[in-house]
Amino acid sequence: MEKTKLSLYQYYREMLKNYIKDKSELTLYSAQQFSKEMIEKDMSPEEMVSLHLSVLKELIKDLPQEVIDSYDLLLEIMIGYGLAHREHLSLRDRQRQLDSELTVAARMQKSLLPSKPITVDELDFGIVSVPAGKMSGDYYHYMEDDNGNIGVAVADVIGKGVPAAMSMSMIKYAMDSLPEQRLQPAGLLENLNRVVERNIDSDMFITMVYGTYDPKLHHFYYSSAGHEPGFVYRASQNKFENMDTKGLVLGVSSKVNYKEYVLELNPGDFIVLLSDGVTESRIDGEFIERYQITQLIKKYIHLPAQAMVEQVYRELEKIQDFKLKDDFTLLILRRNV
Amino acid sequence: MNLQVDVQGNGKKSVVKLSGEVDVYTASVLKEKLNPIAQEAEQLIIIDLSDVHYIDSTGLGIFIGALKTADKSNSSLKIIGANSRVKRLFEITGLNEVIDINEDQREEV
Amino acid sequence: MQVQTHVDINSEWGIVAARQAGRKLAREVGFGSVDQARITTAISELARNIYLYAKKGQIHIEEVHRSGKKGVKIAAIDNGPGIKDIRKVMEDGYTTSGGLGAGLPGVKRLMDEFAIDSVLNEGTTITAIKWLR
Repeated sequence: MEKTKLSLYQYYREMLKNYIKDKSELTLYSAQQFSKEMIEKDMSPEEMVSLHLSVLKELIKDLPQEVIDSYDLLLEIMIGYGLAHREHLSLRDRQRQLDSELTVAARMQKSLLPSKPITVDELDFGIVSVPAGKMSGDYYHYMEDDNGNIGVAVADVIGKGVPAAMSMSMIKYAMDSLPEQRLQPAGLLENLNRVVERNIDSDMFITMVYGTYDPKLHHFYYSSAGHEPGFVYRASQNKFENMDTKGLVLGVSSKVNYKEYVLELNPGDFIVLLSDGVTESRIDGEFIERYQITQLIKKYIHLPAQAMVEQVYRELEKIQDFKLKDDFTLLILRRNV
Repeated sequence: MNLQVDVQGNGKKSVVKLSGEVDVYTASVLKEKLNPIAQEAEQLIIIDLSDVHYIDSTGLGIFIGALKTADKSNSSLKIIGANSRVKRLFEITGLNEVIDINEDQREEV
Repeated sequence: MQVQTHVDINSEWGIVAARQAGRKLAREVGFGSVDQARITTAISELARNIYLYAKKGQIHIEEVHRSGKKGVKIAAIDNGPGIKDIRKVMEDGYTTSGGLGAGLPGVKRLMDEFAIDSVLNEGTTITAIKWLR
């Protein structure tokens, strides 16, 4: 240890001696390298200041006492900087650990979402869901039951990040335990609402739209709990209509009744469900209007549903400068021609 | 990203005037001012949103939290001066059925 | 040579007096200028905490020996409100006294040994030791 101290002292003395003599850029460069090495070896700022003073005293004859005294002040100040630096390192380590925990959690969350494709011939289905951060507060669901009926849902938890993701998991598990096939959309939302109301934080709420499509009758039955209304595209008129829905968001009141709506799909028609991440996109600083969303969808209308949603997402992502403000979910269910 | 909260009250009635935006950055400011009032019993709390151009879902959550608190203490919330975007938000989320929200902008203590 | 000293903390002047006493004792025990400054900073942080939160208390500084080693021991004692969440107060990034890196985690880093004992509404005792190398 003593040997290292001596060579450190000697090294610094040589460097300072050279600089005082030449004032060369080369010496400054080696000082920069020296600094990196010292920081890596955990040498504190106050030790550095002390080293500098010792070397200075040796190199400069008759160093004024005032100069030597002034270093007491500098030493005191540098201790503060050293403490801040150590705290920063410790926080950085902690952040790395949190990051890896989040990565695991995000992976777990992904496994909660459906992955098997829908196999009903006459239906074309597309879904894109991208979290703003690592964890998503958006939930989507689709399921084909034994009778060939398709259940679809999009839910949006207020906020984003870990708290929203945890509430999202709540919805997923609640849905799992419901006899989905035997429940009509309104009843399903009423059930979910009771679960959410009991378990959610008082400042939080969840919006959700749930529907089932009967491919034999071509009817889509749906209910909404305060969710941003979707669209239905009418191929015969080449026009989009709003799926005007009303319903109280989940989690506010334990006694809510939801209204059930129904619409019929003709060949070529499709349903669009979306989350806040879509409607709160900004174009030129202004919030996107609903007609701009349908315009964008129209651009890719000739594509299969999955390609459609992906292209719309890519464009909106680009317009937002690749920075999502909120979790983004877009779902399209089309009756094939 | 700024929010001013101005509270005028007299015993049983409070007028809470908000100016700016109620979003994830300013929500805690609103919560700090609104919740204590909502906790008092039998209050009529009028929230003036005429100077609020934007509320996001976090902000909406604060109103919901205040509503739940007010319900427990037998107080009631009323919202005035909401612009069309804010009104639409309350309509879509169904909150207009549980919170009184109208256009009347003149409410004094 | 004084082996130990006590300083009452009931104003900011107390903090300065405690610093002075600490630096003097550290020098007498044989610590170099850098370690003297570290010990003084640690005393300063502890005394400041007493002043800010308990309003009054004491700082004890003494020379200690153990297994052939020589060192300085600081004890910060008060009958103040006590610390509600010791874990939180020892967490990096949590500081109420303002300033990055300061606070109790900072004191722990400046010294070699560190211990807290606190009872709500009764008071707090913090001890820290630095050994001569």
